[in-house]
Amino acid sequence: MSSVDGILLGLKVALLPTNLLYCFVGVFLGTLIGVLPGIGPATAIALLLPVTFGLPPATGIILLAGIYYGSMYGGSTTSILVNIPGEAASIVTCIDGHQMARAGRAGPALGIAAIGSFIAGTFGVIILCFLSAPLARAALSFGAREYFGLMVLGLVLVSCLSSGSLAKAALTTALGIVLGLMGVDTMSGASRFTFDRPEFIDGIDVITLVIGLFGVSEVLMNIEANLKRSVLEGRIQSVLPTREDWRRSRAPIARGSVLGFCLGLLPGGGGVIASFAAYAIEKRLSRTPEQFGKGAVEGVAGPESANNAAASAAFIPLLTLGIPPNVILGILLGALMIQGVAPGPLLMVNNADLFWGVVISMYIGNVMLLVLNLPLIGMWVQLLRIPYGIMFPMILVFCVVGVYGTTSSTFHLYLAAGFGVLGYALRKTGHDLTPLVLGFVLGPLMEVHLRRGLIASDGDWSYFVTSPIAAICLAAAAILLWATLVPAAKRWRQRLPVED
Amino acid sequence: MRYVVRAVLVIACLVLGPWPALAADPFPSRPITLIVPWQAGGIPDLQLRLLAGIAGKHLGQPIVIENKPGGVGTLGPALVAANAKPDGYTITHITTTVLRTPFLTKTTYDPKKDFTYIGGLASFLFGVVVRSDSPIKTWQDFLAYAKDNPGKLTYTTFGVNSTLHLTMERISTAAGVKLKHIPSRGNAENNAAVLGGHVMASADGSAWGPLVDSGDFRLLVTWGEQRSKRWPNVPTLKETGLDIVESTPFGLGGPAGMDPQVVEKIYDAFRKALHDPEHEKFLAKFDMVRFERGPAEYTKWSLEEIERQRELVNRFAEKK
Repeated sequence: MSSVDGILLGLKVALLPTNLLYCFVGVFLGTLIGVLPGIGPATAIALLLPVTFGLPPATGIILLAGIYYGSMYGGSTTSILVNIPGEAASIVTCIDGHQMARAGRAGPALGIAAIGSFIAGTFGVIILCFLSAPLARAALSFGAREYFGLMVLGLVLVSCLSSGSLAKAALTTALGIVLGLMGVDTMSGASRFTFDRPEFIDGIDVITLVIGLFGVSEVLMNIEANLKRSVLEGRIQSVLPTREDWRRSRAPIARGSVLGFCLGLLPGGGGVIASFAAYAIEKRLSRTPEQFGKGAVEGVAGPESANNAAASAAFIPLLTLGIPPNVILGILLGALMIQGVAPGPLLMVNNADLFWGVVISMYIGNVMLLVLNLPLIGMWVQLLRIPYGIMFPMILVFCVVGVYGTTSSTFHLYLAAGFGVLGYALRKTGHDLTPLVLGFVLGPLMEVHLRRGLIASDGDWSYFVTSPIAAICLAAAAILLWATLVPAAKRWRQRLPVED
Repeated sequence: MRYVVRAVLVIACLVLGPWPALAADPFPSRPITLIVPWQAGGIPDLQLRLLAGIAGKHLGQPIVIENKPGGVGTLGPALVAANAKPDGYTITHITTTVLRTPFLTKTTYDPKKDFTYIGGLASFLFGVVVRSDSPIKTWQDFLAYAKDNPGKLTYTTFGVNSTLHLTMERISTAAGVKLKHIPSRGNAENNAAVLGGHVMASADGSAWGPLVDSGDFRLLVTWGEQRSKRWPNVPTLKETGLDIVESTPFGLGGPAGMDPQVVEKIYDAFRKALHDPEHEKFLAKFDMVRFERGPAEYTKWSLEEIERQRELVNRFAEKK
């Protein structure tokens, strides 16, 4: 079946009134879930899974997929408004998005995030229509070496890009890696940093970490600020992005879409790396890099486009090969199997209506999301007017619900509280929390791929530079590190004689 | 007459008195909690939800699922062993990892003493696949290749000391070959690694099924007692001359000291659920086989399995 036939078939399926309705319900729920800090798409999809058993397969998957990409839209909202990321892929949006909100430009930040997400999501779906099969095969050529190179580059990028000092960023990255390595090691079976607590056997859950570090610590920071809201009160200017915002966002949206799509194809960490890498690129390419961290619109446009493109791309390995690249799509795979649909290379042939129906519904869903989100911006911005005395207790409630909903364990609530205190202490001492989360997510992946590569090559380290992709990533990491360290070392040396 | 009435009433009270109290409280008189030590939405979770829904109807009380994921399925049972009352209102899913983990790491429970084994549920289909363009055409080829190239044949399973890894070690010892294990973290990674040509083979549950059907993978051997219904042309390990059967059966358990009558009642309901057409369909979809074992049989099986796991770990596990 050609792509054109497929698209026509997909339109027939996706435009059925029930499918349109479920698509809308999915993206609406997804937006809500994304907005609420803590309740991530994985939890929501797992809870709604039994509801889909009574539905036809295509309808069920359309609903669940809608929740997933809808949550990517909503995820930026809390990042921008209250500096709490809905999930790991929207952490970078906090950096400039929240600064824009503090400067009274929450509306434009939300607008650019929504429009960037729309463009990137649409771009992703179009590529999904025409090139999914060959792209999925190409992504499989990524082996241990290539992943290792990519992870190293990711970690170096985040340390070098952090707003504070390089030493502090390296420190928090290392702390993140250590936290990420907790639990039973799949490579040797050894328990690491588990303190003989069964709760630590699987390591720390990323939701618990993010909610504690960002959510709880944000509340602590604001309590200390004496519930004064000098910055935001009455200074909400325009709700829509200005012409200047547009001009500055066009290129970041385009770059973010392409980059996010490519990285989203890769199993594991794709969406997270995509958003960080997009931020890094925009900061490097910007003529005014000093504005980054202080409310640069490019810092919202790039990463938000990247994580949405990555969400669309993530469907490619699932739908064409039956390989889910992340936990959420893993649950979707279970949903397909329950429906009696075998996810795999034959899905496109045996269940063409389902494949094309879902793909086209994603396009329709993206349009719905834009229509849904743009008018809502005004409402979200009004949320900033809620007195802090009411808003922050509410945030804490959502944090608790999110952690408990994911882990069903009171132990993890204490853990989140502990991370809240850690996050507070780190922020008070001028540490950026972003590298910590990236270290947490990417560190264990880097380790696994390093060790897998070493097993495969019988301990030969040169294996890691024998693939072009891996070699390019490692070289880029080395250059970046050199470019950051040399000036820093020079400054340090220049300072020495003065201190003498 | 009055006295007669009174006497009858008194006797009636004496005779019937204690009974209504008992009759008001036959097990189960309130909802039962089934601890599922896996994430909501996963395949074990979905299967247990299905079974619990049907079994609850037979029992006349709902069975409520509580997800306590962690420790590769050991955290939930550990909590049940430590905290739950043996009244039948808290039961848990028990898998092989619960029986094996105590020999690999420190656990808070002793599988020999701390559980009441209620009954068996189902078991999995395992097998070894290679990419279809591999020179390895049959299981004999696989072993021959390993023999000619010691330590060169790479295979993946989801983690060191998993049943799949230990069984592959057992196979290579029995066949006198040396394989190289490259662990992954799940079915998806296993399939991707073989499909991308990064490892030569994958030993896994039937997550490879769709790729076998599409002609991307070749299924060399399955590990069950009998050939699988879905791939009847593929031999079992036993047929190829290795006396190894592995299907990691799982079942239900509760804290130690449950009333045998209550145990019987719970399992009867689940036994009916196991045979329900809805569940039959589920088993077929995921290539599982019913593992119907009553309380006595399942307890005996579990105690033997604990010993077998101890031996497997001692002989084949990678120690820290």
